[in-house]
Formats: sequence, structure tokens, C-alpha cells
Amino acid sequence: MAEIRLKNLTKRWGDFIGVDDQSLDIHDEEFLVLLGPSGCGKTTTMRMIAGLEDPTAGEIWIGDRMVNDDLPKDRDVAMVFQNYGLYPHMTIYDNIAYPLKVRGTPKADIKPRVERAAEQVELTEFLHRKPKALSGGQRQRVALARAIVRTPKVFLMDEPLSNLDAKLRVTMRAELKHLSRALQITTVYVTHDQIEAMTLADRVAVMRHGIIQQLGTPDDIYNDPANMFVAGFIGSPAMNLINGSVQSGMFITTGGTKLVGIGGPDRESAILGVRADDMSVHDAGEGDIDVTIYAFENTGESTLLTVQWGKQRVIARGDRHLRKEQDDVVGIKLNPDHLYLFDPESGDRIRMGGA
Amino acid sequence: MTDQTTPEIELSEAQASEFWTGKRKQRFWRSIQAILIVLAAFVMLVPIIWIFLASFKSHVEVYQLRLFFTPTLENYGTVFEEPYNLGAKLYNSTIVAFVTVAFAIPIATMAAYSFSRFRLKFETTILVVILATQFVPAVVIILPFFIMFRDLGLLDTRIGLIMVNLAIVMPFAIWMIKGFIDGIPMDTEEAAMVDGSSRLQVIKNIVLPMAAPGLVTASIFCFILAWNEFLFALFLTNRDAVTLPIGLALFRGEEGDLWNLLSAAGIIIMAPMFVLALAIRKYFVQGMTMGAVR
Amino acid sequence: MSHIPPMPTMRDRTLKYLLVLPAVLVVFATAVWPLIESLRFSFYQGRTDRGDFPQNWLGFENYTWAFLYEPPFWNSVYVTGLYTVVTVVLTTAFALGLAMLLAPGGKLRSGVQTLLILPFAMSPALIGVSFRFMFNPEFGLFDAFFGVVFPPLADVSWLANPDLAFAVIVMADVWGWIPFLTLVLIGGLASVPQDTIEAAQVDGASGWRVFKDVTLPQLLPVLAVVIILKAIFSLKTFDQVFMLTNGGPGTATQTLSHYIYITSTRYGQVGYAASVAWLMVIPMMVLTYFYAKFVFKKDDGA
Repeated sequence: MAEIRLKNLTKRWGDFIGVDDQSLDIHDEEFLVLLGPSGCGKTTTMRMIAGLEDPTAGEIWIGDRMVNDDLPKDRDVAMVFQNYGLYPHMTIYDNIAYPLKVRGTPKADIKPRVERAAEQVELTEFLHRKPKALSGGQRQRVALARAIVRTPKVFLMDEPLSNLDAKLRVTMRAELKHLSRALQITTVYVTHDQIEAMTLADRVAVMRHGIIQQLGTPDDIYNDPANMFVAGFIGSPAMNLINGSVQSGMFITTGGTKLVGIGGPDRESAILGVRADDMSVHDAGEGDIDVTIYAFENTGESTLLTVQWGKQRVIARGDRHLRKEQDDVVGIKLNPDHLYLFDPESGDRIRMGGA
Repeated sequence: MTDQTTPEIELSEAQASEFWTGKRKQRFWRSIQAILIVLAAFVMLVPIIWIFLASFKSHVEVYQLRLFFTPTLENYGTVFEEPYNLGAKLYNSTIVAFVTVAFAIPIATMAAYSFSRFRLKFETTILVVILATQFVPAVVIILPFFIMFRDLGLLDTRIGLIMVNLAIVMPFAIWMIKGFIDGIPMDTEEAAMVDGSSRLQVIKNIVLPMAAPGLVTASIFCFILAWNEFLFALFLTNRDAVTLPIGLALFRGEEGDLWNLLSAAGIIIMAPMFVLALAIRKYFVQGMTMGAVR
Repeated sequence: MSHIPPMPTMRDRTLKYLLVLPAVLVVFATAVWPLIESLRFSFYQGRTDRGDFPQNWLGFENYTWAFLYEPPFWNSVYVTGLYTVVTVVLTTAFALGLAMLLAPGGKLRSGVQTLLILPFAMSPALIGVSFRFMFNPEFGLFDAFFGVVFPPLADVSWLANPDLAFAVIVMADVWGWIPFLTLVLIGGLASVPQDTIEAAQVDGASGWRVFKDVTLPQLLPVLAVVIILKAIFSLKTFDQVFMLTNGGPGTATQTLSHYIYITSTRYGQVGYAASVAWLMVIPMMVLTYFYAKFVFKKDDGA
């Protein structure tokens, strides 16, 4: 059980900056997700915590110990790798037992602990097999069992679900969540999948270009994004970003349509962010604006309307029973409580209502 | 009545070309291809088969161009007798190839691991130099060794031969094993390190077992190279340390080549290499091109 | 994360050099040192029939001697050059054809592919011997075969005729190298994405056009590697020549390697031989440079 503190952590390869002077406190027993697109520095951050990568500058603390100079084996962490990193020449039993064996655990202790770990991930009947004979999901469980067979200070998980098919991923996600609540061990979890982040995390750190853009609970990140990048990265479909300006408290699109009252001082250019779910679909003339349908998609649980909005296209979500055709005209109403305004230059959030 | 004979089948030009399109044309080309393949295989094998047959011919029949003869095992006995004494050459070849491989593989494995997993200063330079040494003509390398061995009394010894054979084998071994280790996922090693292994434990518990098939393959490949090596042995040996390929020269008697014995000796040289080469055939190309083709 | 270096930096700063050290020492001692020592010899008079070695410093005299006063040197340069060009062209052409024939797979083809390993596992010296056997004027199988298909060749003694002897060493070499090149090219053909070929077929290209426009361009890197590699080995050729013709008749088939062998062993002129050997190293270095480029491009591209 331990907290992790990163102090001004930097990783550089020549001119390329992987992680740029980041500090982060991860609480004891917290499940923290590092979320971001590929190349954002999330995996590098985790590998530095594991000791597989040396930081260029900064400090890494696990508990009350500065671990910068410790080898991976001395950091008391367990890690689940993207490709699982199973030992192909060992049986599942030996794979799970390896962390214990190599640390000199007495033989008598190893067996019950391996069996308990295997039981927790429902692998008991496969212990004598080799990794090759297992399915992707089963291999994933072996990697998990190998991590939980000891009680490490920290769990590190590097995109552990990304190699599974979509259906299995949902199942494993729930199992992972169940397991982590049961074990109560500090966990750092790297992913590019925002749904994994939202569902698993106590807190999420959204990263981009080696910099943490926002750190907060899934609720914070979804409902109160710090900037345009976070707003656009979280949520599916992605938040609509509409170019325009603010004049006398109204948001005017680039095409000149008066859209919605948002208050605040005038701005020559601004970007309005609105999620598909925060727009309601009405008959023509009954919304804030009339638009033409570019494409109508029925996903089963709801409908998605891509509408032509001047020169831009915007996605709105409609009721599952809604039926429209391409080129139909509909009215769109925006939910005034869930509108976000961003500075087009910096991407920073412009807080509304403050003025 | 003559006009009632079967009407001649006249093919219009369009029909004629129709005849050659589609499945029929495809089938025609397929048979041509099959014939060419069999022919090529035949050309590739004929000299080997011919030598194989000649090794069972008597010294009379071998001088006749005949396919049918009374096979005899006599040649395989004669080559091991005086003055040919092929057994001694066989012994030399075996020792030299074995010891060369026994030295080369562990040394190459250590280096290959380091090249594969770490960034070293001058790494590319060192690798290119190693690659290049394989292409240096043997006649260039041999001259200083010839002088040095003459001064040290190492001419015509197996030890001397083993030393120079390392020059041939090392670059192949390093590059080949590096290729195999490159193929072992980093994940696995990193998992072992996080699980509590030191670097040396990782090598012992994870890398060596996983690379074992590759190491066997590289050993066999290097064994074949050392076994077939000719020029070094020609320069450096004359009686005691003569290897099999040089031993072939023994059968060039005053009365000309003793083809039946030469053939038997040839079979003794190639047969074990055929077996070894077939065992590692999947990796032969990879080894020979040193990673340029995979 | 493609732009992040694939290998992590690990803290085994001493270990990683210790692991490489023995190999570097062996390679240095068995290849780099003799190479440099040969270069040193090449500036001396180095006769093996005298006790001390090497004797007088000659500067570039060995080299100028080779260039100006040694017709046999130029002869072996000519023989080696012609031999290299002819064998590279013939081997590559035959191997490409055979690779195209064998690439599709199936029982017959993969069986033949397996057999192709055999000639390649044969020692070049042995290939030399077997071709001497096959071209024996009285009972050689190939000799008889050529006599039947082309009667004017019926009664010739192949190895006694300068041109035909050259043809025989070329045939032996091509025979010995086709299997290897074929196997490499089959690998190259297999790595040409099948969907590009199928796309071209659907687009309406004929078999020949598919090969010329789609397959061949994608095969070029492998073809280049194969050609460089074959050129290097052709330049070095010694074993078959020694066993097949021993450079003869006269010096008609004397390659550079063979010339160096004769001058150093028969005439004991090691200093002079070293200078010729170094003249051989230079084109080799050029070829190695190109070869290394391919090897490392492959590494980066992964």
C-alpha cells in the first residue's frame, strides 16, 4: 500500500520530449488512469514508475522512498503488459509462480498462493498448460494473476485490454474493476480508450504532448473539461466544436446565424462546444435553428443525426424511435446548461457567466 | 457423295483465340510450369545423384558412362585405408568444426543480446565492421595468419585452424542470433524484471530458454560453414591437421582422378551436411543474408 | 508510439559493454588485425623463403609492380571481373525465374524448395570436384549431354580449352548459387503483399504486366541485396576454381584469389600478394557499404 509522487518528471530522447516536467500525486489505494492519444507520454510515465525507463529529470517516490535509482525488481511493483509478456516456455503455473520464485519465496508458500491467484481470475483448470494453448482473454488473466500473486505496493497496467476483441473487453473491464476494488492496491492504468478511463478510474489524468491537460474524477473530466483537447477527447461521439463569435451575449456562428444566448463579453472569435446528447431534435421551426440532415444513422439504442450547419457538420443524438431521411429539415435545440466556450487560439476554456 | 463427308470444323479467328483463353490456357501454362519445375529440380540434383551412384561403382565401371552397374560398398572401405586414411581427416574436420562452434556461439550470444537490447556507443559502427569482416576475402586474412603460425609453430595444427575459422563463423553467428533475440518480445523480459529478476536472471531464466531453438540453428549453420571451409585449411595444413575438403586432393593420383573413391569421399563430406541443412532449412536464407532479408 | 525509440534505456551500463567485449576481441583478432597486418605487408618486400619477415620497406612498389609489370595480375582482374558479371547476371536471372515458378507453393513446389537446400549445403570445393567429374571428356555426364544436343562439342575436352574451361567454372558457380538466390527471392516474393497483386489483376493487368508493374518494383530491394551478395561472393571465388581447373588451362580461369594464392604459396611473395589482396578489398568495401545500407534500412523501417 503506497502513494506515488512524481515531482517535475521529464523524459527526453535527444530533441524529442516524451514527458515534460510533470508532477502528479497518486493517492494510496487510488485507481488512477493515464489517458491520452498514442505518443502523449502516458506509457512513458508508467514505464518510469516501473523503472523500465530512466527519467531525464525529476523524482519518483513510491511510499516514502525515492526510487529513481532502484532497479525494477527492487521497486515492489507488479505490471500487466499490453502484450501480456508471458513466458512462453513456462506453464501457466510457472508463469504465475515466477515473481514468487525469483524473490525466494519458500516453496510451500508458492503453491497455495498461485492457486489462489488462479482462482481469482478463474484459471485453475489451465495451470498445467503453456501460454500458447490459451485464448487472448485467458492470457490476459494469466498476466493479471501474475500481478496479484504477490501483494505489491503498486499495480501498473499498460493498455491491458487493448488486444482483446470488443466483447471480451467489456467483460474483462468489469472483472478488472471488481478485482481492483477487492484488492485495494494503488493502481496506475494506461489507456487511450476513454470508456475504460471513465468506467475504471477514481481519477483520470488526460495527457497530451507529454503534459497533463487535466486531472480529475471522470465526472469532472466529462462535465467540466479544462480545455478543448479534453472536451474533444472525452465522449462519444466527440463533442461538437462550432466556430463563431460572441456578440451582445449571443453566440453567432461563422455563417452569421444567431444561435444561442450565452452571456459574457463580446469576442471576435470563439468556439462553442456542445455534446450530441445536449442537443434535442425537434420539428423544423421549433428549435434554436433549422438545419438539413446530411446523414441519418440508427444505432439501435439511439439515433445519430449528422446535420449541415452552414459550412460545418454537427452530430446530434435523437430518440431511438426517431425516423428521418437524408435532406429532411429539422430544428435543433441546445441545452443552455451544458455549453462550453473555448478560445480558438489557445484552446483554453472560457468560463461563462462569470461576467 | 463426297460432299457428305463430315464437315470440316473451321475455327474463325475469334474462336481460335477463344480456344486459348480462360481455363484451357491456364491449364496449358500450368503443365508447362510443372515440366519446367521438374526439369530444374533434375538439373539441380543430377550432379549429386551422379556422385552418389559413382560412389558405389567399381573402379572399372566408374570410367564408363553407364547408368546400370553392380553396386559395391568397396569404395567406402578403401577411402579409410592407407594411403587415403580419410578417418583422420574426418576426425580433424569434426574437432575443428565442433570446437569452433563451441567457442563462437556463447561469445556471439552474449554480444547479440547486448546489440539487440541496449544502445551502445558506436553500436552501428561495430555491427557494420562485424558484417564487413564476413565479406573480406579469405586470402587477405590468411596471409598474416600464415606468417604468424609459421613463427609460432601453429601451421598444420587444429588449434590454428580453429582460430581462423572463428573469423568466418563469428559474424554469421552474431547476426543470426541477434535476429532471433530481436524476435523475443521486450514485454516478456520487462515482465520478468518487474517480477523481481536481475538482468542476469532475465538472461538465464527467460532469454536463453526462449532463444534455444535459435541457438541450435545458429550452431548448425556455423558447423556447416566450418565443415565446408576450404581456403584456410589449404593454406595452413599439409599433413596432420588436413580436413575433409582438402582431403579430396588425395584422390588425384598419378594415373588421374580416382573417381570412385573421390565420389565416396564426397558423399561422406556432404551427407551429414545435407541432414543438418535440412534440419534448419527455414533459417538458412536468413542466416546467409545476415538480416538483410527476412 | 512510433517515434519513441523502441529500446528502453536500462541501467546496465557496464554489463552491456562486458557482453560485447569478447566478441569484439575475437572479431578484431581474427579479422580486423589480419586485415591491417596485410596492409602493412603490402608495403614491404615479404618473401617467405627468407628467415626474417617482412624484409625491406618498398612503399608502393608492390602496387606499381602489379599495375605495370605483371600481365598475370591484369589477366586475373579480367577473369574475375568477367566471371563476376556473368555469374551475377546468370544466377540472378535463373533464380528469379525459378523463384517465380516455385513461389505459389503446393506439394511439388515446396518439395523442390526443400531439395534446393542440398546444393547449397555442399562445400564449394566439392562442387568443383563434381563438375570436373561431370565434364570429364570420356565419361562425364554433362560432357556427353552437350555432345548430344550440340554435336560440335562432342569431342572437345572442356577443361583443356580456355573458353570452355571458363564456361565450366561459370556453370559450376551458377549451379551452386541458384538454389540460395532462389530461396531468398521466394522469400522476397512472399513478402510482396498479395492484395496489391490481386488489385492489379482486378484492374485488368495481364500476368506479365502484373509482374512488371507491381511485383518487380516491390521485389527490387531484395533483388538488390541478392545481387550485391552474389557479387561479393563471385569476387572472392577460389574453392571451385582451385578444384576444377586450378586456374588453367594456363591462366585462363585464374581469379584474383587464385592468383594471390599462387604468388604467396608457390612463389613465396607474401608482400606482393598482400598488395594484390588489398586491391581486392577495395571493391569489396564499396559493395559492403551498399549491403550494410540495406541491412540497417531494414532495421529502421520495422
